[in-house]
Amino acid sequence: MGGYAGQILYIDLSSGNIEKKPLDMQFARKHIGGLGFGTQIYLDLIKNDPVFDALSETNPFVLMTGPLTGMKMNGVARWTVCSKSPLTGFWGDSNIGGFFGAHLKFAGYDGIVITGKAKTPSYLFINDDTVEIRSAVKYWGKDVYTVTDELKKDLKPESKKSGQVLTIGPAGEKLVKFASLINNKGHAAGRTGMGAVWGSKMLKAVYVSGTGKLVVAQPDKIMELKAELDEVYEESIGISAIHATGTATHMDVGIISGDIPIKNWQQTEWDDIDDIGPGAIEEKIFAGHKTCYGCSVACKKSAEVKDGPFKMEKGPSPEYETIGTFGTMCLNSDIESIAKANEICNRYGMDTITCGSTIAFAIECFENGLITEKDTDGISLTWGNSEAIVKMTEKIAKQEGFGAILAMGSLKAAEHIGGNASDFLTTVKGLEAPMHDPRGAHGYGLAYAISPRGACHEASLTFEAEGGMIYIPEIPELSADLPEGSDERAQLNVVAQDYGMFFSNCAVFCNLGGMPLNATQALKMVNYVTGFDYTLNEVMEIGRRVWYLKRGLTNLFGARAEDDRLPKRLMTVMKDGPTEGSLPDMDKMLSEFYELRGFNKNGIPAKNILESIDLHDLSALLHPA
Amino acid sequence: MAMFKTAEEFEKVIGGFFNLVADTPLIADKLLKSKMVIRFKYSDPDLAIVIDCSGDKAEVRPQDTETKALVEMSMSSDIAHRFWFGMVNLTKALTRKEMIAKGPIPKVLKLLPAIKPAYAMYPKYLDENGFEQYNITKAYKPPTA
Repeated sequence: MGGYAGQILYIDLSSGNIEKKPLDMQFARKHIGGLGFGTQIYLDLIKNDPVFDALSETNPFVLMTGPLTGMKMNGVARWTVCSKSPLTGFWGDSNIGGFFGAHLKFAGYDGIVITGKAKTPSYLFINDDTVEIRSAVKYWGKDVYTVTDELKKDLKPESKKSGQVLTIGPAGEKLVKFASLINNKGHAAGRTGMGAVWGSKMLKAVYVSGTGKLVVAQPDKIMELKAELDEVYEESIGISAIHATGTATHMDVGIISGDIPIKNWQQTEWDDIDDIGPGAIEEKIFAGHKTCYGCSVACKKSAEVKDGPFKMEKGPSPEYETIGTFGTMCLNSDIESIAKANEICNRYGMDTITCGSTIAFAIECFENGLITEKDTDGISLTWGNSEAIVKMTEKIAKQEGFGAILAMGSLKAAEHIGGNASDFLTTVKGLEAPMHDPRGAHGYGLAYAISPRGACHEASLTFEAEGGMIYIPEIPELSADLPEGSDERAQLNVVAQDYGMFFSNCAVFCNLGGMPLNATQALKMVNYVTGFDYTLNEVMEIGRRVWYLKRGLTNLFGARAEDDRLPKRLMTVMKDGPTEGSLPDMDKMLSEFYELRGFNKNGIPAKNILESIDLHDLSALLHPA
Repeated sequence: MAMFKTAEEFEKVIGGFFNLVADTPLIADKLLKSKMVIRFKYSDPDLAIVIDCSGDKAEVRPQDTETKALVEMSMSSDIAHRFWFGMVNLTKALTRKEMIAKGPIPKVLKLLPAIKPAYAMYPKYLDENGFEQYNITKAYKPPTA
């Protein structure tokens, strides 16, 4: 068998116990990898005592690569993390690229399962067979960039190959609820606050250095496939666009369709949009191209601000979502300030979507008189005040003054602020919505509402399918010409979840770098690398099982039907612009979806459905006798 | 069945609209900054139109198949017509090859915000120039609450 490294590391920070368990190939065949492994391992760890706080030592953390991670191919550098979310209190997971996953496999491990809590700040040292829990006292309190550089330098003498660092920043240490994990200074597991889980465990970083090589089961066939795919990538307009200007290219496209939320989702048009689009980025902050391991798509960009109030050294450039949350959402047309806010989020380790959206929410509270400068430590949180936005970003990271309120996320901040602050929320299940407006594409609305981790455009492939980025001719729902409105969106969501769980959660293809692939090509890649003989039906079934497992875990943590709703702000009809008069018919879509997925009125999957897909433990937990 | 029966008919409609756009400073000034020469190759019915922004004024040249263009955009006349009503999902059309683009695509995408005002101009242009029968917004109703 190929693809897999062959072992999973189990680390108990409380006892200091380190165990290496061989990867069971029957388990691998059944779950493929990534969150296929992660969800099952997580459930097995918590099923005897599923009631706990996300920041308690009882909450396990699972990091898993996929069978393709570490292969020198486009769009397969990604890997996954999961745990209970400190931000939402529900299921949390995140998907990340970069280099760490590849190097973990080179060291001989497909994943790491972390339980317990260290007594003092610690980091995990992995150097091929050597695995140790070490003191991180000298790194605690330092930012992501500094720790990354220092760990690499300090550990170089005892590493055969240059290492990779996955770390939290001060935001994770201080338990900012949307703290992230960062690899290589800019690749983030951003959503749902996995960095705070590490902070609660006193785990600062994992350093990995590996010298091993991964085996491909059918190397001749993979070479043939790579040659075929070279042409596919060459012809892809989407790939060409993100290679040139990164995800920021969507600023130009999204403004046409009304996809970009502006002024905390109150507008879809804005005269200043060009000031923060790809043209402005190229002119003012662009400093080079970057990529993930083995991927020639190179959708990442570097930025630099040489002088002025937002001066920053060369580092990761803000991506589309970040430009949206810190830019359009706040009516902030200063691209340099957005780059600076992005740098603060990277250095301190925070999710840019939640952070920027929470600041936009706070600005609306300020503009409506719910808070004043007395509350905000003298900062005038007004629309477009770029200096205030940057200052508040730093205060959140430091849990300082009003920043400590916003560090809880917008839902909790609204409870604190009171009045009609909740009218300005953009959250589902406590997670702030990404920068794609469901009033223009109704399927997104259902996707946000029923996503196990909260409002998310990457919790399935609905965004990619309805938005037109992917075309999967082997699956009718993912190649259909959908009618306008909310019809057929429930079925689209079901299929986009099942295929999406296989594609970007288990095999862990990148939704951007993998967008030109059809199902046949994706399956061939998995089969040629692993030596398995999956069929499309089989991976759809595996995907379905993973989706129900995630849904069941979020149900287990308390989510019910009333949590499957879009916030008032996203359900407010636009009076002009490209989405004028259009609202998703949530009642219709939810009702159809619940029937297709076999949910009861509480939003819990039926017992017979869970048992038919071999989720007996989950069924027993959700349907106690 | 295609909406436009002959190339002449389509040229009158789309060529006239491109001339209007070229004479609208709000849009034309931004197009001119790009210095691009774009050829649109339409099918069903067949028609080629060049928009030349390399000089001081945006020039529209129907049936120009000779000028060297930086970018070539190929699509059916129906897709082109629906595009100017804002009814085409551009990403989907490019992914599914309903629109085929050759050349530096990111440069073309950068022009999208500039041409956005043209969407509102198209139906009005059709109505005011004797092309009411092609105004499909009169039958089209966006989904409402």
